[in-house]
Amino acid sequence: MQGNSSRRGSVASLAAGSGSALPALLLVGLFFIVPVVALLLRSVTDPEPGLQNYAALFGSGTYVRVFLNTFLVAAVVTAVTILVAFPVAWMLAIMPPAFGSVVFGIIILSMWTNLLTRTYAWMVLLQRTGVINRTLMGLGIIQEPLPLINNLTGVTIGMVYIMLPFMILPLVGTLRAIDPMTLRAAALCGASPFQAFRRILLPLSLPGIAAGGLMVFVMSLGYFVTPALLGGTSNMMLAEMIAQTVRSLLNWGLGSAAAFVLLVITMALYALQLRLVGARRTGGGA
Amino acid sequence: MTRSFLSIRAVRKTFGAFVAVHDVTIEVPKGEFLTFLGPSGSGKSTTLYAIAGFQDPTSGDVLLEDKSLLSVPSHKRNIGMVFQRYTLFPNLSVAENVAFPLRVRRRPDAEVKRRVADMLALVRLENFADRHPGALSGGQQQRVALARALAYDPPILLMDEPLSALDKKLRQEIQAEIRRIHRETGVTILYVTHDQEEALHLSDRIALFKEGRIEQIGTGEDLYLRPASEFVAGFIGNSNFLPGEHLETAAGAATVRLADGSIITGLTAAEPFSRGQKVRLMVRPEALSLTPGPASTALQVDIVDTAFFGDRRRVVARTASGDEIDVRPTSDATDPAGAIAGSGRRIYFDPALAFLFPA
Repeated sequence: MQGNSSRRGSVASLAAGSGSALPALLLVGLFFIVPVVALLLRSVTDPEPGLQNYAALFGSGTYVRVFLNTFLVAAVVTAVTILVAFPVAWMLAIMPPAFGSVVFGIIILSMWTNLLTRTYAWMVLLQRTGVINRTLMGLGIIQEPLPLINNLTGVTIGMVYIMLPFMILPLVGTLRAIDPMTLRAAALCGASPFQAFRRILLPLSLPGIAAGGLMVFVMSLGYFVTPALLGGTSNMMLAEMIAQTVRSLLNWGLGSAAAFVLLVITMALYALQLRLVGARRTGGGA
Repeated sequence: MTRSFLSIRAVRKTFGAFVAVHDVTIEVPKGEFLTFLGPSGSGKSTTLYAIAGFQDPTSGDVLLEDKSLLSVPSHKRNIGMVFQRYTLFPNLSVAENVAFPLRVRRRPDAEVKRRVADMLALVRLENFADRHPGALSGGQQQRVALARALAYDPPILLMDEPLSALDKKLRQEIQAEIRRIHRETGVTILYVTHDQEEALHLSDRIALFKEGRIEQIGTGEDLYLRPASEFVAGFIGNSNFLPGEHLETAAGAATVRLADGSIITGLTAAEPFSRGQKVRLMVRPEALSLTPGPASTALQVDIVDTAFFGDRRRVVARTASGDEIDVRPTSDATDPAGAIAGSGRRIYFDPALAFLFPA
């Protein structure tokens, strides 16, 4: 009911404010649509007209590996982010609002801190002679330093940390809408805490998980700074490859093609999610 | 002595310095409909939550068939509960909601199906099996909640103000349903409400809570006809309270002088009073009549207002000392209004429905 009225409200305000939306629309048109079209044109014209850039992209094992690795990293990061974010979001949803706003503030503050600073901080923590390895060795838990950086582990740790707020925020909204009494009712019905989670809480929080998950996955696909600093050469991600292709090899055509493929994949995923969520809504509301 | 069924023993619950429940002890026989009645904050819900396992009592014990429930987590207590708020699972259909307690107990499919059909028939919602809770009215949702709570045949059903969110007409309808279901299933019901009419309508026994203690426990008749305190008399039914002074008690019959100077004899005292002690005389409105009776039960009044309600009248009278009295005579209902009006009238009351309490 609430969703309906807010949807109606946003349509009304859209109609009323369409005149004042013009500058923003122009801005998006000029600085987003035009470059995308230019990108597409460049990928099929540079250095000469044809699809040779796309052929090179899909024909070369190296580039395909980079694509696959990009998806692997994005998937792992999304999965780990969901696992880590869920308990935090649940705690935020059920804790008294005064406490909750403090924790919320801490999460938001981390988003406002410079990305590069936070990634360098992880380098200090994760490197061979970093704080974590030295502490573990000092405690005698490990003999050799753990390989925590310049590999998938490092990228995952660093990216999950950065993506957490984008998962927690939509999830808290969904979880807050769930009446905790519903879970008490489940318990009295005989559901163990795990059964109550799997059969009631998890299905009810799926929309939030889907929204946050898609955001994290899409952001991860095109992420540059953190994978470049914490990742290794053997598991390069797409954004880094594009940067290298353009900057070092000055191959604008190939870089444009790679960027365009990434854009198409992202949009396809978004459309898929819209369809899935939309289907569930009409099915569930009947 | 028969084996006890549900036994609440000296349950006490404190929140910091605040004592929510003071050593409440109740024996509940199997099949009883027991209502916890009381104003909000009187400890009735807290006591219920201790039985449900949502709140551990600070001390005391809750036993079901001589086994303590306190160390058993909520989901293993096998208790059914209907809540004040709608707590159906919004992601499941009506039938799946009712099936939920059976599914988590891994009952065979055929049994689940049969049981769900039986339960939906019990609450008369057979045609709503495939709906989702969002598409049901509040009353229907609470009936599904009732079906869900009874699906696994629990020995005890807890109900925490289940009708408070519904309008009056619907409330009465579902009260009748609850009575029928109690009769048909024989389940032991503990019911929490702050509505005395609901309590009188539904219960075998009522435990009236006040400030974390049970003020009186007994049948509706006990509480209405033999209130143990002024609080009980005031909470159950309508009452008039007249200030006065105790003169003497002889052979169990007390004599008082009311504020307007009239002397009343033959009253039942809730406790022994000393000579000259300030008391309050409580009289039920329906125990008052304009039909002449013995002079020892007469009050001199002016009639302030009368209103006609069809089956009875409501008359507001005032004594010489200015105390207003609510009179609901049934026998005078056919009298023309003119015969009731006027000053200097006498009203008479039934001493059996009048009680003396300390002021």
